[in-house]
Amino acid sequence: MQAVENAKLRLKDVTKTFIAPRTLKPTVAVSDVTLDIMRGEFVCIVGPSGCGKSTVLNMIAGLEAPSDGTIFMDDRPISGPSAERGVMFQDYALFPWLTVQDNIGFGLRNGTPGHSLSAGEIKDRIEAHIDLVRLRGSEAKYPHQLSGGMRQRVALARLLANGPDVLLMDEPLGALDAQTRLILQSELLRIWGETSPTAQRKTAIFITHDIEEAVFLADRVVVMSRHPGRVRALLDIDLPRPRNEHVRTTQRFGELSEEIWQLIRDEALEAIA
Amino acid sequence: MSATAARAAAPARRGARFDPRGLVLPLLALIVWQLWALTLPHDSPAPSPARVIATFIELVRSGDLPSALAMSLGRVIAGFATGLATGVTVGVLMGAFRPVRRVLEPIIESFRPVAPMAILPIAILWFGTGTPAAVSIVGYAAFFPLLVNTVHGVSRVDRKLVQAARTMGVSRPRILAKVVLPAAMPSIMLGARLGMSVAWTAIIAAELAVGSKSGGGNSGGIGSMMFVFYAYSVDLNGIVVCMIVVGVVALLIDQLFRAAEARLLPWRQ
Repeated sequence: MQAVENAKLRLKDVTKTFIAPRTLKPTVAVSDVTLDIMRGEFVCIVGPSGCGKSTVLNMIAGLEAPSDGTIFMDDRPISGPSAERGVMFQDYALFPWLTVQDNIGFGLRNGTPGHSLSAGEIKDRIEAHIDLVRLRGSEAKYPHQLSGGMRQRVALARLLANGPDVLLMDEPLGALDAQTRLILQSELLRIWGETSPTAQRKTAIFITHDIEEAVFLADRVVVMSRHPGRVRALLDIDLPRPRNEHVRTTQRFGELSEEIWQLIRDEALEAIA
Repeated sequence: MSATAARAAAPARRGARFDPRGLVLPLLALIVWQLWALTLPHDSPAPSPARVIATFIELVRSGDLPSALAMSLGRVIAGFATGLATGVTVGVLMGAFRPVRRVLEPIIESFRPVAPMAILPIAILWFGTGTPAAVSIVGYAAFFPLLVNTVHGVSRVDRKLVQAARTMGVSRPRILAKVVLPAAMPSIMLGARLGMSVAWTAIIAAELAVGSKSGGGNSGGIGSMMFVFYAYSVDLNGIVVCMIVVGVVALLIDQLFRAAEARLLPWRQ
């Protein structure tokens, strides 16, 4: 991949080595990942467990530093977390002591995203995002009173309310039942801005182990392999947008899914053996 | 982690609700005690339920019991407040900053097994036999449960929550105040409840001991009152009254803390 002019994120020879806590042996989690992600692009990362997907995401978020190589955002190296790159964690990481609306407003009230906003503007933004993810009526509830799907929407609203340039999502739909997943996939595309021109879309990186989810959502799928985690293949998903449920029944959708499955099949079988 | 703790705590809360079956055994014991007392000669000093009640009414009428109770409670509140402020402050620092923990842990762990009563001699030498000695012992007693539970709560905060705050551009000091502290609150509340119960135990023991040292119970408080009944008037009924009052007050304090916990941590239910 050559560096392209409007790359939002550039991963250059990124390697991450851990010292395993028990054995104290160095383990390579991610090896030599080089990848450019365009502005407004929706990229899904798939791969078997242990391929370093989450580590890549954490490094882009700035929560972990690469052992080697550099990650650039807008041509500036990433040195730590920033509200420009919002993260949606696998288990949502909602603050259990805050209500839905206070969770959504947490970054606005305590972090950099709210610095230039008045209390009234913050309030309006929280209200708008409660509506965006259709949580009206539940805004005063605590996370433990919500279903998995609702928690996930709170996490999404919290992510979006901070107005990040880049959305980083780590298997956000992983814990949901199949029906809720399908509904939220469509909703995610709507919120990401599928119907808007590319220039107005956010840059999104979405980790999943669900191949069809990746094909449905992504502009491009990154297939990773394990031991060590590296990029195995990049696939352009040439399905037209906006996508609706019918796209899942098309021949092209099946072909793309099959192609990805062939790429990770052996390792996936190995992982469960 | 916290979700399973919350679930484990739920049955305990339900169990705290009033169940009339719990009264059967105490009532039976009272009846047996009174029947036994009726077999004794009329001028026996042995306590009986009827005499204990009479003594209780007398002590309330004279104002001795209420003023002793107020004195003890005042000391407990002052001592507990000291233990709360120091225990939570040191606990947060130790839980959040590893170097602080490394430096302080050996000192704290070596003082922890030293019972509050064991520092009484020093407290009396330094502060005399009055309120300051009693307050310092209560503070010392309340400090450890608060400290230990605060450290535990702060160091066990879900890392993901801290990371989430960092990705929202929240500064480190603000993360401590807005994420770590609230997340540790259930642990701190538990520490407060345990701290209060040992504080109340400690004040009675301290007043008893100070009473014996000052040779006349001029230090005041329920413990001191018990000492007078024991050493001077040899009034067993009075001692029993004090014991019951101490127990009932402890129970009420615990209920108060549970109610406060339910109010302060509505998200735990």
